Amino acid sequence: MKGTKKVFIRKRSPSYKDKETLQLYLIMLPVFILIAIFAYGPMFGIVIAFQDYFPGASFFGEGVKWVGLKHFDTFIQGKYFGRLIRNTLVLSGLNLVFGFLSPIFFALLIDQIKNLKFKKFAQTASYMPYFISTVVVAAMVISFIDQDGIITKFLSAVLGFPNKNWRVEPSAFPITYTITNVWMNFGFGSILYISTISSIDPGLYEAAKIDGANRWHQCKYITLPGIKPIIAINLIMSIGSLLATNSDLILLLYTPSTYDVADVIGTYTYRLGIVSGEYSYTTAAGLFMSVIGFALTFAANKISNKLTGYGLW
Amino acid sequence: MKKRRGIREGNPVITFFLYALTAFLALVTVYPMYYVFILSISEPKAAAAMNVYWIPKGFSLDAYKALIGDSEMWRAYLNTILYVVCTTILMLITSVMVAYPLTYKGLKGRKYINMFLLIPMYFSGGMIPAFLLITKLGLYGHPLSQIIPACFSIWNIILVKAYLSSIPEGLREAAKIDGAGVFRILVDVYLPLSKPILAVLAVYTIVAVWNNWFSALIYLPKTDWQPLQLYLRRVLVEDTKQIQEVMGPEMAQEMVRKQMSGAQMKYAMIIFTTLPVLFAYPFFQKYFVKGVMLGSLKE
Repeated sequence: MKGTKKVFIRKRSPSYKDKETLQLYLIMLPVFILIAIFAYGPMFGIVIAFQDYFPGASFFGEGVKWVGLKHFDTFIQGKYFGRLIRNTLVLSGLNLVFGFLSPIFFALLIDQIKNLKFKKFAQTASYMPYFISTVVVAAMVISFIDQDGIITKFLSAVLGFPNKNWRVEPSAFPITYTITNVWMNFGFGSILYISTISSIDPGLYEAAKIDGANRWHQCKYITLPGIKPIIAINLIMSIGSLLATNSDLILLLYTPSTYDVADVIGTYTYRLGIVSGEYSYTTAAGLFMSVIGFALTFAANKISNKLTGYGLW
Repeated sequence: MKKRRGIREGNPVITFFLYALTAFLALVTVYPMYYVFILSISEPKAAAAMNVYWIPKGFSLDAYKALIGDSEMWRAYLNTILYVVCTTILMLITSVMVAYPLTYKGLKGRKYINMFLLIPMYFSGGMIPAFLLITKLGLYGHPLSQIIPACFSIWNIILVKAYLSSIPEGLREAAKIDGAGVFRILVDVYLPLSKPILAVLAVYTIVAVWNNWFSALIYLPKTDWQPLQLYLRRVLVEDTKQIQEVMGPEMAQEMVRKQMSGAQMKYAMIIFTTLPVLFAYPFFQKYFVKGVMLGSLKE
């Protein structure tokens, strides 16, 4: 195929192929420059984790003060290290369990709904939170769990909880964060599962029914095996991002009174790096976390390959 | 009894329970927005008492009237529209610009280009190096800081490339024989055929840019170029800008006279700024579903 094409082009004109290649590269060049600057540029900036960088200095060359692993040492021995690791693991762990399972659960539930109109409605409704901005979602949550907010009132009426501002209550933060995250993402996350389930051969279900398989059997022996590859891949990706919490949402929801249970690497980097200007130190902290995150993805992929036969690579 | 029908259709009690559960979940996803909406259009007194739950109590657009006078919100609205339009158009252009040449199977150095594209998908410099880069480029505080770094996406390039690769090469060869060059083939053959994927890309980009606030928080210290979401964060989340400051002094007096609550103003603001998204979402969602499918095929 490749050979015949080459011959064909050469027949037309000897320099045609080169001219074509040049033109194609010219089309790509502007975007390559963008990628080089904005995707690769920051990668070189990582070197400041090993320097005492001050604003305005260059990353390499004259006047750079190399300090080796000093910032990593400070970070690991610092008083916030334990807190950051603990919060990251707790919040991501909760999110890994509920955020990962809720789309699967919803997809299996939707599969049981045979009334097409109702099914369509429930699905459409479930995507809605994904379109609403994180800021607006956070604003709604904050107002709902405030004193006299609708959720606060509901909780105090039904469970007898005190009517107060739950946003500043540290013990409530992990729950608020997890529920909000699940609420925002379960519908969108279920799309792939639902479509995969609908592509399973209906004959399998018919045959199972004739053999006397009930709803639960069908789900366990036909539906779940059908979506197993997607579950495996999503699980690997969730484990890989275990240390990269959704700091967007945390940054909006937390207050100084809940830093103790809400502060994660992203929010810490923002406060210390962007707001206070400790560039080298926060870059080191971020790099430390991404290296561990990458190792986790690698390990999860290996385990998944062994156990299920599916993996990212 | 068991073999009454031969095929088991499932216990009707469980079926009912599953329907009820689905209905409950649909209610939970839709109700918060609905609640915010009915409270925002209720009579200010009822809204202040916060006891509106299922249908609006009375009807009043006073909260919206107060909002419309807020020039800072309009400015932020316009900024967001500017960012959305520019970023989306550039995103479509940049994605096609790389995806199209990569459909040439015999292109020299294709292997290296693929590597060049793949590395940033797994590694990134992180928040601080990106911030320093933007500062070094002089984009800090400049509206272009919201557009240029966000106007390309390697993921989108790969998505478009996968789509364009499914166009039969025979079409290109035919156009070539007719004397069309690389650019002509792109414009006359590939672009018209790539409309579906471009629609998906546009929808994803519009929603992402509309909802983005974090890069503005980092790169735009002054309020004049800040997008709507950052403005909302100041008013609704941080409370650094009091809701009463939004309006002029007369409106503030009016608000006190009508006993309009801060919460109602906030809810009106939520509805008013989410309206475009809520209207667009029924049309957008099918593209979202399509995008998820296309993305999964890549894996």
